[in-house]
Amino acid sequence: MVKAVVFATLLIILPAVAAGQNSEAPALALKDLRGRTIRVSDYKGKVVLLNFWATWCPPCRAEMPDLVKWQRQYRSQGLQVIGITYPPSELKAVRQFIRSIGVNYPVLLGSEETKLLFDPGKTLPFTVVIDREGKIRDKIEGIVLPEEFEQKVKPLLQ
Amino acid sequence: MQRKRVIALLVFTLVLALGAISVSAATKTARIKVEGMHCKACATSITKALKATAGVEKAEVSYETAEAVIQYDDQKVTEAKLREVINGTGFKAVGD
Repeated sequence: MVKAVVFATLLIILPAVAAGQNSEAPALALKDLRGRTIRVSDYKGKVVLLNFWATWCPPCRAEMPDLVKWQRQYRSQGLQVIGITYPPSELKAVRQFIRSIGVNYPVLLGSEETKLLFDPGKTLPFTVVIDREGKIRDKIEGIVLPEEFEQKVKPLLQ
Repeated sequence: MQRKRVIALLVFTLVLALGAISVSAATKTARIKVEGMHCKACATSITKALKATAGVEKAEVSYETAEAVIQYDDQKVTEAKLREVINGTGFKAVGD
């Protein structure tokens, strides 16, 4: 009961306080697939793409090969993609999928509340662009198209 | 003189009409059934990808009807290409 009330309250409050553009990215500490705690703030100094995704989401799966390609191509320029799973997600399915496409960036286990910190909507995939200073520069709903990467991410890498 | 004016006016009207016909002939509407959408938000990626395609003038994707309605310039893009774009978002364009 208490859990339900807390969750309902979060649903009401979080959208109102979801981090806006040019604001400091919220402090996030989530477990990765090996159970290690990863802090997004550890990547300060890099251009971070926080990509919310789910194994059951067709466009999420469709865009991931591009994220893998960009991570490989722009790693040396400071790009860091971080995947955050959205429920319901089975650890086994997540592991199988990321192995099948050769994901080359950390994948953290998220929740609905994690996404609510950035966005009140339910659209997936959803990607948050964070600059080297740790500020949110953009939020991209749906697949990150190559032209969006060019316009919204590449300038931050220079 | 009067006759020349009438002919000139007729020619002008004809040119305008032909221009309008050629413009409307270039704009087509495709209705494509889409498989795999399980929530309203799914339509976002498809709509976005279609709108970013050269030649697409308008794109509306409905989760309720599982259909994409696209107005496009058939001089710039084909329906086959539109189906390819939909498939590229992880969903499946079905039908003819």
